[in-house]
Amino acid sequence: MNFGFDEQQKSFGDTVANVLADFPALTSADLSAPPHDAVWQALAEIGLFALMVPSQFGGVDMSLVDLALAIEALGAGLAPPAVAATLAATDLLVHHGTEEQKRDYLTQIATGGIRVAVAVLEADQGYDPYDVQTALDGDRLNGTKILVGDAAEATLLLVVARAFDRPCVVLVNADAPGIAIRIHDDLDPTSGYCAVTFDDVAVPAGSVLNESYPEHAVERLVDVSTTISAGLLMGGAARMLDTAVNYVKVRVQFGQAIGAFQAIKHRCADMAVAIEAGRSVAYYAFWAAAENAPDRARAASMAKAYCGGVSRHVCNETIQLHGGMGFTWDLGLHRFLRRAKVIEHSYGDAAFHNERVLNATLAEVSAAVDERRKSA
Amino acid sequence: MDFTYTPAETEFRLALRRWLVDALPNGWAETVFEPEDEYERAMFRLAWERKLHSGGWSGLNWPKEYGGRGATLVERAIFAEEMARARAPEIINVPGQTLAGPTILLYGTESQKQRFLPKIISSEEVWCQGFSEPNAGSDLASVRTKAERVGDKYIVNGQKIWTSFAQYSQWCFALVRTDPDLPKHKGLSFLLIDMASPGISIRPLRQISGESEFNETFFDNVEVPVENVVGEVNDGWRIAMMTLAYERGPEDALGRQIRFKQELDQLLTTLSTQNRGNSKAIEDPNVRQKLAHSITEVEVMRLNSLRTFSKYLHGEERGPDASLIKLYWSHAAQNMYENALDALGPLAPLAGTDPLAPAAGRFPLSYLQSKAFTIYSGSSEIMRNIIGERVLGLPK
Repeated sequence: MNFGFDEQQKSFGDTVANVLADFPALTSADLSAPPHDAVWQALAEIGLFALMVPSQFGGVDMSLVDLALAIEALGAGLAPPAVAATLAATDLLVHHGTEEQKRDYLTQIATGGIRVAVAVLEADQGYDPYDVQTALDGDRLNGTKILVGDAAEATLLLVVARAFDRPCVVLVNADAPGIAIRIHDDLDPTSGYCAVTFDDVAVPAGSVLNESYPEHAVERLVDVSTTISAGLLMGGAARMLDTAVNYVKVRVQFGQAIGAFQAIKHRCADMAVAIEAGRSVAYYAFWAAAENAPDRARAASMAKAYCGGVSRHVCNETIQLHGGMGFTWDLGLHRFLRRAKVIEHSYGDAAFHNERVLNATLAEVSAAVDERRKSA
Repeated sequence: MDFTYTPAETEFRLALRRWLVDALPNGWAETVFEPEDEYERAMFRLAWERKLHSGGWSGLNWPKEYGGRGATLVERAIFAEEMARARAPEIINVPGQTLAGPTILLYGTESQKQRFLPKIISSEEVWCQGFSEPNAGSDLASVRTKAERVGDKYIVNGQKIWTSFAQYSQWCFALVRTDPDLPKHKGLSFLLIDMASPGISIRPLRQISGESEFNETFFDNVEVPVENVVGEVNDGWRIAMMTLAYERGPEDALGRQIRFKQELDQLLTTLSTQNRGNSKAIEDPNVRQKLAHSITEVEVMRLNSLRTFSKYLHGEERGPDASLIKLYWSHAAQNMYENALDALGPLAPLAGTDPLAPAAGRFPLSYLQSKAFTIYSGSSEIMRNIIGERVLGLPK
């Protein structure tokens, strides 16, 4: 057992952070669209998209654990959501794709040739993917998804739909006739959130992941995306804490750096504790997802619910510790706040995930009680 | 990163599991529980930890030459999980096993190691901690208890406070002032004191739980042989800081997490059967949210400890990072007991022997006990200073 990252895993994180740092527009105060094509190209050049692709399709056979720190760096650098979505899609294709699907998509994903958007949420439903109403009927897909990140620039959509009363994940080319995309007006315009309507979109045979057990693909997509979201949240939160600490070391009031005041220092300490706690639960979730551990779903939900709270706490405190400057547009802290808030609401909020945590734990506890009674 | 276990680690787990089935009383944690009476409970726990030792389950990751098992930190973590799973009793010689032992291992002489370590592991000798004084709490370096050298002895005079388990202890490790003329951090030494020495008196202090786990301990011309100094004379502050790094560190947190997890599991079982009108208490959506949050926080205590273990295994030094662990578990545990009482609803106040008390009335007592968590082993305010200054580099 080892709960640490090796040098290679750390270097993936550092490399992604360095690449994103070359694109200051990603984290600048302005909300206008940053240059996604160049960022995408730069991330493809360092091989990010090939990491999880099996070697026979041009990749290097890595797992989600190997990417955990890289994903944190994506969160810290406010990378375009399509990057994380493409990584989630890669994982899903590896675990639930047919040989044809792998060949068709993974080879291109490895070189950065496919940009993915994941479409789960619907306006009249909650977070449970089992409730989606978008329907795959025969070869026709109908329905409307909301809050699909970077949909307008995606080449491939992963759509959670209902077929024969079971949820499934459908691979849909973004340029298929019958798809209409409307860019949302929302809290974080840089996430590229869109409403996507499927009006009798023709879906060719072989477009559903894991046709025998399609719900397994849905569950993995949700667990993995939930885990990735937790990693993104931790990356953003850790960057906010660094920003706050650097500021309170140099901001002088009453004749001294305000970081010397316990009212400030103690709040920074609480943030540091929260971030380490959030990392513990997020990293474990990455491992559980990579290994398909029996507690994969619970670990993912713990991570998302918990890291959402950490991110909320750290973003709020960082703005507060910057005083009036924190509330200015130009300082740009709002970018991290906005991104954190929309991630909190993607793939299930804390209440949704807490329910999953409790149900899984109750099942485990009652099994342990039964076993103890049996052995007594 | 890898949470799988080697065949040897799995065998360790299974062997422990088999041993526990025989070692725990029949019906344990179902119909048989710890004694109500405080003294009897302490004796029950002491008997349990001696039993653990006789089974070879004590001093797990200590070297074999001093009576330890030479186990890995991973096995230590497995041990914690299995103790939680079996709802095994706690131990009282925590100051010996978690604090005195590692400190003596690191800084003690060979003869100190041979003299003290085997009996700490066996809990034949229980230890207490003589650090705090009435005027040296968070400002620990202002301890005034004096140790004056006379010939080959130190003569100790002064008073310690919050000495948990002093009434059951054979030994005390104390921070004493050996040179009053040096700056306050420099004149301190780390001294091992035989609690049977003439001149020691103990006065129990009553805690808000009604229990008297901790005490005032008075030293009146107590003679201590000079060979009982650990490390160099006047180097006690540095050594005490390492002791505190253990006290606040992952081994301690993992041991505590066992109890919190046990109580949380008990709470879930209780709420699943407790009626609340036409439904069960566990069905209340507000209760469910709070419980899930505490489930996660208790799991984070474990994961924080494992992450820190891994850092130490890869050569990182123990230090101020232990304060992150301690600050975390203490507040998370307090929050858990608040949530527990919220969840229990109208029956929450029923305690102890009341026939209607849920889960044998343990939660009101645990709730009261939890108020100490953020005060002992370094108050939260001191933890935050350490994290702010020594982890984040903020100015003093």
